[in-house]
Amino acid sequence: MEKENKSDGKAKIIRYTPWLVHFNTGACNGCDIEVLAALTPFYDVERFGIKLAPSIRHGDILLVTGAVTKKAGERLKRLYEQMPGPKFVIAVGTCACTGGVFAKSYSVYAGADKVVPVDMYIPGCPPRPEAIIDGIAKLLKKLEQS
Amino acid sequence: MIEEINELVKEGLLKEVGTIKPNRELYEFSHERIREIFKQLLERLGEKGFYLATIVGTDILKDKKIRLDYYVVVLPEETTIVLRTYVDRDNPEINSILDLIPAALAPECEIHDLLGVVFKGNPALRRPFFVPEELVEKGIYPLRKDARV
Amino acid sequence: MAIDKVIEVPYALEIPVGPQHPALHEPILLKAYADGEEVVKVEVHTGYNHRGIEKLAEKNSFYRDIFIVSRVCGICNGVHANCFVRAVEQILGIEPSPRAKYLRVLAMELERMHSHMLINAVMAEIIGFDSLFMNIMRDREYIMKSKEIVTGNRVSADYMIFGGVRRDLSSDKIDKLRKLIDRVIPRIKYYKKLFMEDETILKRLVDVGVVKPSEATLYGLLGPVARASGVKIDARASDKYDAYGEIPFNVIVRNECDAWARMMVRWDEALESAKIIKYVLDHLPQDGKAVPDERRLPRRFPPGEAYTRVEAPRGELIYYVMSDGKPMPYRVKIRTPSVHNILNTAKFYIGYSIADLPVILTSWDPCISCMERLTIIDLRTGERRKVPMKELAGGGKKWVNPRYSL
Repeated sequence: MEKENKSDGKAKIIRYTPWLVHFNTGACNGCDIEVLAALTPFYDVERFGIKLAPSIRHGDILLVTGAVTKKAGERLKRLYEQMPGPKFVIAVGTCACTGGVFAKSYSVYAGADKVVPVDMYIPGCPPRPEAIIDGIAKLLKKLEQS
Repeated sequence: MIEEINELVKEGLLKEVGTIKPNRELYEFSHERIREIFKQLLERLGEKGFYLATIVGTDILKDKKIRLDYYVVVLPEETTIVLRTYVDRDNPEINSILDLIPAALAPECEIHDLLGVVFKGNPALRRPFFVPEELVEKGIYPLRKDARV
Repeated sequence: MAIDKVIEVPYALEIPVGPQHPALHEPILLKAYADGEEVVKVEVHTGYNHRGIEKLAEKNSFYRDIFIVSRVCGICNGVHANCFVRAVEQILGIEPSPRAKYLRVLAMELERMHSHMLINAVMAEIIGFDSLFMNIMRDREYIMKSKEIVTGNRVSADYMIFGGVRRDLSSDKIDKLRKLIDRVIPRIKYYKKLFMEDETILKRLVDVGVVKPSEATLYGLLGPVARASGVKIDARASDKYDAYGEIPFNVIVRNECDAWARMMVRWDEALESAKIIKYVLDHLPQDGKAVPDERRLPRRFPPGEAYTRVEAPRGELIYYVMSDGKPMPYRVKIRTPSVHNILNTAKFYIGYSIADLPVILTSWDPCISCMERLTIIDLRTGERRKVPMKELAGGGKKWVNPRYSL
């Protein structure tokens, strides 16, 4: 998927307090609870200024978990369109990266990049919370350089 | 062996045919009498006496049949019994038991969408429920053995 | 219910909750129709998570299926794998060693503990008690750590295999586990006390979402939902699978029938699980190899069928496996507890206020990925008789900004 030019300097704006939006497109919940664990005190992603946004209209980073099912795929596209720019997508977990064990199923599109442009892939089944935080931090670093 | 079920066997509504591992007693019945059987179960065991665990639909391609297994858990010992029936594969129709047992909603809708069995009298049946629309347009039931998905 | 009141209120409000939902992290769309503050009808729209797993299982070999079914649900992956593995073991006619059986129980009980803590934390968040949410989540990490020690991964571990488990437990790990569990037990007791005494929690949960015992069986509700309504069902106690026949434990039953009772059942069960875990750690049998030699596992599967039940954290989980002698199963049927607990419960929202809606939904412990592997339903049946006039009033459906979510 092609992505509109994002290195126009605007991306720098969000690098101190990016707001996360989490969308489950057909995950087994494994990645979801790890995302939740990353947000809660033991791992605490908030120390990077990252916060869970209440609505997609406030979000800067979309966390996609799970193999994208055909029905959720339309929703994912709609959510992505509703996000204000600059916007970034992180695929969390093997299923969101490639479709994982569900890739050949009749109701799955496979990876999230089939529907929306993805900026960062975090593999793992499920990735550990440390890995998720590492992925987000790396994305922020990338923004700094852009 | 549960006494109430035994009575139904004696009355000829059910036929004992063996067991499914591990030790689930298996009974067969003819699919026209499904409502009669569940009415009797409700009467004899009571509303609190059992629950419908699930319905398993299997496509038996070589016999041209669709097999429906009604799994009933009898309380308080939680004995699982299996009530098995067959419907014709080309014209799969059976009466719905939704109005007798509301728990049948989920399995009936599921089997309708995946195997194409029509539960007569269930107003919630609808396609597409969750099977992607492109499959529904082609009239494909994904769990049938000859479906190429 | 007075009919004339309905005529005064000309329309019902339609409130979509989800599928992108800030609190629940799971895709479900509840369409609630409200008359003023009162919910008059709820439709559950799902299907965002349907992955066609039963068909996938038919197209892959028995060995690959272990890994597919454990990805039905991440939270209860061990239970799913255990149920499938035991069904195939029944067909094959093999039995794991006693040590493996105890280790399976250990993994499943750890799962139950962290699942119950998670849903109680989510409930605290839903009712606006954020600090409690964070505290419970923090203590839950001890359980995740224990699970990692036992199975090798925090969440999906693929711990079960035909004839045993895939990792043994050494004695120094057992000591570590004991310490972790001992740290969690007083915390759970404290949270349980909090749920019993805290006024805000009581005000939000007591007498909300009442399910009568006869309704629980008629609607096929399972697990903590049924047990909180006084229906004593527990597959652990009745089927005595794995080592549960040898381990003493209580089945928790409460008679309050409301959302509060369901949460309390979960706290009590978490404590009960801690007891089971300690028993397992003390009585772990030394005989027999827990880890089977994977090269010697059977490659041929005889024809046959098996139907196994497992008490998952959310209730009775069912697998039906049929083999016709080929390397792939002929049919795999998965029935998860959430199918019944969510889809059959649209009726129980009616009459409560909009603010109670997420509370009731959370009290079922919704696990959407479990439910939706195969099902989506429109729950329009049955409700019409209950609120006919309000239904009529809702016929004109005023459209509300769909972005407004609860």
